[in-house]
Amino acid sequence: MSIIYVLIPIAILFVCIGLGIFFWAVRSRQFDDLNKEGMSILFEDEKKTGKPGTDPDQQPPQ
Amino acid sequence: MSYTGCFHCNEAIPADSDFSLLIEQQPRQFCCPGCLAVAETIIDQGLGDYYKFRTAPASKAQLVPDQLQLSNFDSAEVLADLTQHKENQTQIELSVTGISCAACAWLIEKQLQKNPAIHNVSVNSSTARCVVSWDVQQLKLSELLSLISKLGYQASPFIADQEEAAQQAELRRFLKRLAVSGFMSMQVMMLAFGLYFGDYTGIEPEFEGYLRWISLFLTTPVVFYSAKPFTLSAWRAIKGRELNMDVPVTLAVFYTFLASAYATVFDTGEVYFESVCMFVFLLQLGKFFEFRARTQARAATGNLLKIMPVSARLVQGDAVVPVSARRLEAGQVILVQPGETIAADGVVLSGQSSVDESMLTGEYKAVNKAQGDTVMAGSINHDGVLTVTVHQALAHSRLGQIIELQQQTLNQKPQIVEKTTQLARFFIQRLLIIALGTFLLWYFWLDKDRAFWVTLSVLVATCPCALTLATPTAITCALARLNRKGILIKNQQVLEIVPQLSSVFLDKTGSLTQGRFSIQRTQLYDQSYTPATLLALIARMEAYSEHPIARAFDSYLDSGIKLEQVRVHVGSGLSAVWVREHGSTAEVKVGSAAFCGAEAQTSAAVCCSINQQLVFCVELSDALRPEVPTLIQRLKQRGLRLSMLTGDSSAQVEDVQQQLQFDQVFKGCSPEQKVQHIRQDVAKGNKVLMLGDGINDSPCFHAAHVSVALDSGTDLSKNQADVVLLHNDLNLLQELIEGAALAQRIVKQNLWWAVGYNLVIIPLAVMGFVSPYIAVIGMSFSSILVVSNSLRLLKA
Repeated sequence: MSIIYVLIPIAILFVCIGLGIFFWAVRSRQFDDLNKEGMSILFEDEKKTGKPGTDPDQQPPQ
Repeated sequence: MSYTGCFHCNEAIPADSDFSLLIEQQPRQFCCPGCLAVAETIIDQGLGDYYKFRTAPASKAQLVPDQLQLSNFDSAEVLADLTQHKENQTQIELSVTGISCAACAWLIEKQLQKNPAIHNVSVNSSTARCVVSWDVQQLKLSELLSLISKLGYQASPFIADQEEAAQQAELRRFLKRLAVSGFMSMQVMMLAFGLYFGDYTGIEPEFEGYLRWISLFLTTPVVFYSAKPFTLSAWRAIKGRELNMDVPVTLAVFYTFLASAYATVFDTGEVYFESVCMFVFLLQLGKFFEFRARTQARAATGNLLKIMPVSARLVQGDAVVPVSARRLEAGQVILVQPGETIAADGVVLSGQSSVDESMLTGEYKAVNKAQGDTVMAGSINHDGVLTVTVHQALAHSRLGQIIELQQQTLNQKPQIVEKTTQLARFFIQRLLIIALGTFLLWYFWLDKDRAFWVTLSVLVATCPCALTLATPTAITCALARLNRKGILIKNQQVLEIVPQLSSVFLDKTGSLTQGRFSIQRTQLYDQSYTPATLLALIARMEAYSEHPIARAFDSYLDSGIKLEQVRVHVGSGLSAVWVREHGSTAEVKVGSAAFCGAEAQTSAAVCCSINQQLVFCVELSDALRPEVPTLIQRLKQRGLRLSMLTGDSSAQVEDVQQQLQFDQVFKGCSPEQKVQHIRQDVAKGNKVLMLGDGINDSPCFHAAHVSVALDSGTDLSKNQADVVLLHNDLNLLQELIEGAALAQRIVKQNLWWAVGYNLVIIPLAVMGFVSPYIAVIGMSFSSILVVSNSLRLLKA
């Protein structure tokens, strides 16, 4: 059981890293507008040309 | 294709129009050239993804952004007032109208990022704000704004007030504290499970000590960092010789923490680190949601500076130069174009126009202004060009005075002592005495060794967790519930006061009425025409006018009518040549009675003459909102005393009174008088609600216990009100009253439970029957019960 002397500090280290990342995300204002960040994955960075009409059913939502 | 609305804005497409564009090889129809141009820009820039992923249709695009107005922003003076300089970049905050979903934010960001002069751009879709930093040498501010307007959004410079910036920073701190207590709770809870099982199956003292030390280490940041707001608030209360809810919270947190730390260091007794962490986390969570709801409400309505005129055109000899409105001085002459906001109080030097002062006076009719008349800053010039001699700088103008009056009343808001605070004070005093008594009892008479632990179980078992959660959880849930229905509450006290209301003051123009003209009666003098044709003809002509009366005819617009030589006669009407279907022409005049050669009928009438012959008269009035009569009826049934407060002194006030039968009517009131009337009512001991929409109502908002603004109202009134109704439906007022009553019922149930539970557990704990474990279970159970009871508010 003495393995917990190693494992728990490692777990705490991970917690600290997680908290550090979260603090950085808050500071860089990623939580100011959750809607936009949630949508951002849907958009392509650069529109690829040459394959028009890939989605003929596309319609604006009502 | 079943879908027939405009591809861009989803509005109906006029029957005879043909604006279409090939998008991804599909022909798409548009309602107007504005939307077509915007869609073309979006597609040409390769931003077509916007149409794929947006969740709400865009707002209708306006074809011609006002270039003249925009160019005013380029003067160095104006720019310095609006922007911040960082190295060689300029940063500005813009308030953007027309953002309807997250895709809009993406669209604006992408479009602006393509411009090499723009270094950084960030759009917030929930507050409709945009922060841009760019190189002003390469790109003028007006060009930047027109880039955005090409996408169909209107951007205007904006300066966030300090309070708002502070709230945003506070929100970020909240998130961090929440993260710390959340992460740590998970860890400590995990270790606590090890300790729980250790109790049953046996655990080596070596490991038990280790787990306790780790828990202590992990709980420390929660107590000293996450719980800081509670500690500070409790400290302030004690310094002011008061007891608030944060005092027992802090006491419980620290007592439990220190007792557990003591147990860890000296290897005796029990540890409760997981209770400390969970307690802090849950309380933080409730407070965070409440704070976020309020901050968002504030940010969404905080565009106060938009009504303050930003720029003006100063006449210097023959030249007209744009200047910052804040720097205008008495004696200077400014030029005001149609559609612009007048930048300072002054006297008309030349020109003729009608001016909308409704936001300042409550008068719904536009006022005609000619040479020698005074005009007020913040009113909107409708149809003519005016030159105005400035009498007072903006800060001393009527608008400035009203804003100042409102700042003064801000600190005089009638206070209501929160019932829970009173209850807490009562409860805490007794609790402290009982805990002290228990300790003394055990220490001196019963069992010296158990004294400390029995006292701890008294404190943990009665730990005012349920009591403190009772109100905030119910209020947060009620806020969320009302928010979903379109009622934005910025001041949480509202929910406590609304069920006690006894008096309601309502503004007339724009609140009870629609605040715009609609057609009341028509009179036909020549039977060879039908009213429908003539209304369509008038509508077609009025489309050329900026005058507010013109908007009354919008719904009759039929673009099949052909007009030539349309001319706007400022202050009187319009004339045109009507080309009829069979080719004949007729001279048409639409406007005031005198202009059309008729005797005046009513003050707000529009006449129409064809070939100098009067054919048609339309009477206009500011109609009541359709839901008002039933609403007034329901409010009366609740036993509320209703009063109408209005700046209007016309005969329309009597008409409205006849229809609705208020208990009191005050007409022709200045903002100061309105405040006075409400103060008198407050002094009589009534709990007062004020509903209004204009700038002239906003000082009253602080005089009343609860203030409600409408979404159609001015930004200033929305900014100042406690409650904003997001849909233009007054029935929401009824919803608000019902929602608040329901919330109060839940709070009462919660309090009864919390107090009842405490009454049972305290005697047991004092007698030493409650082992600390049972105390923790009891506390958690009653907290869960309170929270789930509050969650019922979210249903329905």
